[in-house]
Amino acid sequence: MSVGTLALLLAWGALVGIDLVSVPQMMIARPLVAGTVAGLLVGDPETGVRLGVVFELFQFDILPVGAVRYPEYGPATVGAVAAAHALGGGMTWGLAAGLGLLVGLFAGWSLHWLRDANARAVRRAAGPLESGDIRVLARLHAAGLARDLARAAGVTAVGLAAGWLLARVGAAGLPPRVLTLTAALAGGAALAAGVSGLLRIVGRGSSFRWFAAGLAGGVAALWIA
Amino acid sequence: MDRVTPPAAPPLRAAFLRLFMVQASWNYDRLLGVGMGVAEEPLLRGLRGAGGDGTAYRAAVARGAHFFNAHPYLCGLAVGAAARAEYEGAPPEQVERLRAALCGPLGALGDRLVWAGWLPLLSTAAVAAIALGAGWGAVAGFLLIYNLGHVALRWWALRAGWDAGAGVVGALRNPVLQRTPSLVLPAMALVAGFCLPLATRWLVRPFPLVGALGCAVAAVIGVLLLRWKPGRIKSLWIGLAAVALGLAGGWLWR
Repeated sequence: MSVGTLALLLAWGALVGIDLVSVPQMMIARPLVAGTVAGLLVGDPETGVRLGVVFELFQFDILPVGAVRYPEYGPATVGAVAAAHALGGGMTWGLAAGLGLLVGLFAGWSLHWLRDANARAVRRAAGPLESGDIRVLARLHAAGLARDLARAAGVTAVGLAAGWLLARVGAAGLPPRVLTLTAALAGGAALAAGVSGLLRIVGRGSSFRWFAAGLAGGVAALWIA
Repeated sequence: MDRVTPPAAPPLRAAFLRLFMVQASWNYDRLLGVGMGVAEEPLLRGLRGAGGDGTAYRAAVARGAHFFNAHPYLCGLAVGAAARAEYEGAPPEQVERLRAALCGPLGALGDRLVWAGWLPLLSTAAVAAIALGAGWGAVAGFLLIYNLGHVALRWWALRAGWDAGAGVVGALRNPVLQRTPSLVLPAMALVAGFCLPLATRWLVRPFPLVGALGCAVAAVIGVLLLRWKPGRIKSLWIGLAAVALGLAGGWLWR
């Protein structure tokens, strides 16, 4: 992978990271989008879409309400796509998904750090804020955004470095059966997360009947296709 | 504070643009408060002349930056309403009460309408389209359609808040707003159900029989675990365990 591609992935991961909370929440942070674009950047759209769908299924299990803590899968998906590409594509996506999950966990912790750092900055500026000092208000806000940008870039860099390391230690040389089983079980876990998350969103009320009807339609579509 | 005539052409566009980054300084103390203050500030500039020394303006900006929590797409309703209430000469305590009263309804409505409705509806539709062979065009379609709704909702919220002022509760009774979740939620459930069998086949297709069986077993065990202890067993840990098991099992399977 060229330095230019790495730089593009880093920039994309940083944008994806700030989209989640800071700006503009247009859903490029969704793994489906993050992964697909990362795949296009490395010239391997198929792997990008595959890992995008896998992490999108994991994302269904997260409902970002209130101050709840959750893993962050956007930059993690970018790292996973880069790793799968560096490992040679094919069934290596299972291994890359494992790496992405670890990065997602780390990214979730970094969000907690960010919110804590922002809170400390707000406490330090409590006096000027209470007097309506617009310059302090704007500075606080811009500093929060800068912190998030640095955090998102850092998380993406960790993901890219971990993928490079994985390729360096020869993970691509693992026997095909190991890679296949890893991908199969990772895919199964993603499906479990998707089913469980969607069932929780749908609930048990009247929406469940619509869900069951959709399920029947999906099975029928499989039959026809 | 006395009543001040609001600007004939309020800088709604400036406030609207700032609302896209309302969560940039999200923190555990004031949550969205600082971002709310930043977004509200352009609308309060007409108060700078009130009293001659800018006290009313600064006090209103300070109030705007107090604790606030709601769905980010609907924050504009509170920004517009609070700013308008400042011009209407509402006492500071009333403005604070108005903001506090809006937190719960705006959070609940946004979570239901967007996080549990519009977003999973379009996201599962995109996954289903990919499984049917649409490729990355499905992702582009998802982004485009989602953001049409997203941007329209943000603009409506700000506009409605500014128009209604302290009477903003009436805006929340807007029939379109009340009826939309009852359309979006069943549609989301229908599409989510439709997406799952297609996504399963799409994921399983490249595997040999043993791999496909492994995938199915992992999915069933994962769902049982996640449904058995919801919130306590995390899908991320199941995913990591699955990858570890795959690596170990692959070595043993000769």
